[in-house]
Amino acid sequence: MERPVPSPELLDFIVDRVSVGVLVVDRDMNVVLWNRFMETNSGRSAAEVVGQNLFKSFPELPATWLERKITNVFVIKNFSFTSWEQRPYLFHFRHNRPVTGGIDAMNQNCTFLPVKDANDEVVYVCITLFDVTDTSISQSMLRNALRSLADASNRDGLTGVYNRRYLEHLLSQEFSRAQRYGNMISLIMLDIDHFKNVNDTHGHLAGDDVLRNTARRLRGCLRDIDTFARYGGEEFAVVLPETPWEGALIVAERLCQAMGSHPVTFGELALPVTISLGVSQLVPGIPRYEELIRRADTALYQSKFSGRNRVTVYHEENTSSSEASE
Amino acid sequence: MSIAPLTSDQTDALQEIVNIAMGQAGDSLARTLDVFVELSVPRIRLVHVSEIIKTVYGMVDDREVVTAVRQSFYDNLNGEAIVLFGSSGCLDLAVLMGYASELSTSGEQELLLDVGNVLIGACIGGIGAQFGVDLSFSPPSIMAERVVLETVLVPEKLPWEYSLLVEVNFGLENSDFKSHLLILMAEDGIESLRQSLERFMAAL
Repeated sequence: MERPVPSPELLDFIVDRVSVGVLVVDRDMNVVLWNRFMETNSGRSAAEVVGQNLFKSFPELPATWLERKITNVFVIKNFSFTSWEQRPYLFHFRHNRPVTGGIDAMNQNCTFLPVKDANDEVVYVCITLFDVTDTSISQSMLRNALRSLADASNRDGLTGVYNRRYLEHLLSQEFSRAQRYGNMISLIMLDIDHFKNVNDTHGHLAGDDVLRNTARRLRGCLRDIDTFARYGGEEFAVVLPETPWEGALIVAERLCQAMGSHPVTFGELALPVTISLGVSQLVPGIPRYEELIRRADTALYQSKFSGRNRVTVYHEENTSSSEASE
Repeated sequence: MSIAPLTSDQTDALQEIVNIAMGQAGDSLARTLDVFVELSVPRIRLVHVSEIIKTVYGMVDDREVVTAVRQSFYDNLNGEAIVLFGSSGCLDLAVLMGYASELSTSGEQELLLDVGNVLIGACIGGIGAQFGVDLSFSPPSIMAERVVLETVLVPEKLPWEYSLLVEVNFGLENSDFKSHLLILMAEDGIESLRQSLERFMAAL
């Protein structure tokens, strides 16, 4: 029995109606075939486009690159591809998610197929264009979700500033960068004075509020390049890239003053809050970033012993402390 | 699963086929880019999964940072090809491929996908052509970007034991651009290759 062969009409029907863009060009970049998907989405009928140069009909196409790409298929006689991940679209078409999409154009994956004659010469290139807008949208939703998850894992739940995990990660990165390129880094460690009294006298809700308000006020005093983190309990840290200790001292004094100048309010209460600070700078010979923390901590405890509400800079020989001016 | 290696006749025939295919690929690439393409003599061998990293290390500079593009081929011959790109010389290629000379990250990715596709398509298409078979290719994808080699292939995660490895190095004249093409055919791929080789040799 003879195998039934699909009629040319049937094949034409399928090519025309399939929900994939199909266009065919010859060596001179003239369009030979333009299916219904392309008509509908471009608003240009086959009658207008077929027989015309592709780039004359669509001057907005990236001509240099695309002509090269198509020519390569003629020369190399092989498939070629584009993906939405690198190039969101070839043709600027509207997508059918105008309400829920949130992106500006239909995202497309394209395949370039060589069409060969009996002598194995490529006579046409057939371009198929797949609408992958849905994939693109769900990928970008996924990416956003992952990004906010990553961000959440770097944040302190109570104050919203960075947490210790992130601080240590950043410090170790900055530390190896400094070792390679000789960058400057300073670190400020700071601690709320007599914080335990706040908790004991006014309760933990007041304590939480003091932590939140302190974090917010201090964050407002810093530059964008500085990283502010809650180190633990009532202790915070500031990483200051490209900053020598002299600069860090100025920042630390500003922070000290910002807290001492006016009280933190909790309901009807106005609670005076001061902080003690220690500053250290990365100098050659510091073997690990932990040593930078240890030095700032040493300076911080010096501030505590000298009467609190002040800044101390760690120096190898002695640690000098300066009281915050009222 | 144990795998019978190719007979020496089969290996010789394959070496010859691959040599011709690579020559053609180099020629296609040279015509595409209008620049002289330098390529090494292809090496073919059967490797155990545990040796794959060492073998690949042997091809590229130690600890080189690479970007890897992978692509599958199927129909008559099946396997995967990986192109490893070094970090220099990309811009030379960008200009030759008609990309803007200022490359964004996605522009660079697209360029490497494009070049990977050209190399893989030309080489494997050339092998297929000599067997008289048409092959299909999946779209290429970025497998790893700017990583040290160890992170590209992780032997514990590879589901095969032995693979036929074809390796060729490509370079461009007067450019730092270097790439390494690996064609990997795992056990079932080797079987279909063996059959193609048998038919090819019978037809000689």
